[in-house]
Amino acid sequence: MSVRTEGSSNYEYVTARVRSRRAKLFDADDYRKLVRMGPSEIARFMEETEYETEMNALGARHSGVDLVEYALVRNLAKHFDDLLRWAEGPLYGYVANYLRKFDAWNVKTVIRGIYTDADREDIEDDLIRTGEFSERRLDRLVEATSIEEVVEVLSGTIFGDPLEEAMPDYESEGVLVPLENAVDRAFYAHLLDEVGDPEPDSPTALYREFLHAEIDFRNLRNALRIARSGADIDPGAYFIEGGRLFDAEELRQLARNTDELVARIRESTYGDQLADALDELAGAESLIGFEHAIEAALLEYSRKLSNRYPLSVCPVLAYVLAKEREVENIRAIARGREASLSVEEIEEELVIR
Amino acid sequence: MFEIATALSSVAPVLQNGGWEPEAAQHLATAAAALAVGLAALGAGIAERGIGAAAMGAIAENEDLFGRGLIMTVLPETLVILALVVVFVV
Repeated sequence: MSVRTEGSSNYEYVTARVRSRRAKLFDADDYRKLVRMGPSEIARFMEETEYETEMNALGARHSGVDLVEYALVRNLAKHFDDLLRWAEGPLYGYVANYLRKFDAWNVKTVIRGIYTDADREDIEDDLIRTGEFSERRLDRLVEATSIEEVVEVLSGTIFGDPLEEAMPDYESEGVLVPLENAVDRAFYAHLLDEVGDPEPDSPTALYREFLHAEIDFRNLRNALRIARSGADIDPGAYFIEGGRLFDAEELRQLARNTDELVARIRESTYGDQLADALDELAGAESLIGFEHAIEAALLEYSRKLSNRYPLSVCPVLAYVLAKEREVENIRAIARGREASLSVEEIEEELVIR
Repeated sequence: MFEIATALSSVAPVLQNGGWEPEAAQHLATAAAALAVGLAALGAGIAERGIGAAAMGAIAENEDLFGRGLIMTVLPETLVILALVVVFVV
């Protein structure tokens, strides 16, 4: 499904703006301060930064940590919508493809909301209004009262057909897993659409490599989670196509044996970048450290790409990742402080570039 | 071979004893200088396209960058000024 617009890419304009915005993200110093604040202090701190508009707009309806969280999400949506507004030509295609992540999130939120009979307003609050869907389509999604209706609204998008195929499974089993899987798979299946088969060593080829890496890491994470949880689930059933490290069959076997899996990754192209993470995985009991190390490796890689190819999609991607990380970090801090975790515990949850 | 020789003989009036006729040479030099300036301006324009777009982006984010953006944008203009020297040299 192509979203391509006419003309050539305006990399110069978009990267200049993106770099400026990137410079405004919180740095390690800000995080050090934030970790030591209480929830209300965090809210006050945010009112004096980038998030001022959103904090003021939402201040009347929410309070405390909820306010912080909604402001974060709304700010994120604003910035990513700006990216889509600026970008032209093939660049728009790349950015829109990646931001469909939020379309997938929105579809899942609506489906879950309907499944649990949540209020319309609650669902609406939890949407992230960015990505490829228009405001109107989102409104129609929120207004839908049954899952069949949601599927109907989504016909014509990349999620339409996969959801329709998953409907019989959902109806016979009565759980949401088939539907949610269909949504995620649709997103990943179309992630590589616009990129095509670029010449080796061009920025687009590196972008492609990056997306491959992301899919591989996602597969890896899913397999490890299933293996660790000890549940009797077939990891192959959750396999996402498009990665280069494993195929479904291999993943199925490796998930049963963590040592072999670690050895396999060490030999792969990701070995160098993930060396620290792998050591942690081999030693540690929990997956959290490993997952954060993967995130950090992706961030680092995207930053390296954006410095090596200043006029390409790479800086935009690096910004998207860094912004997402910032939102996750602040959310972790706010929630952690609310639950009165210690400073060290919260710092463990952060991924700081 | 023979065709080339006839073609050359048609411009023979311009050439006398292997040298250029002074007036024709002057015209040709002027045309070449004009071409040089034009091409330099084209090059500067192409360069300014990218810089200008980036400068607009930077200014949109932070208005204080207007002065710096303007200077950076017109920097390739020096190309045209240098090319203009050619006009006075010929």
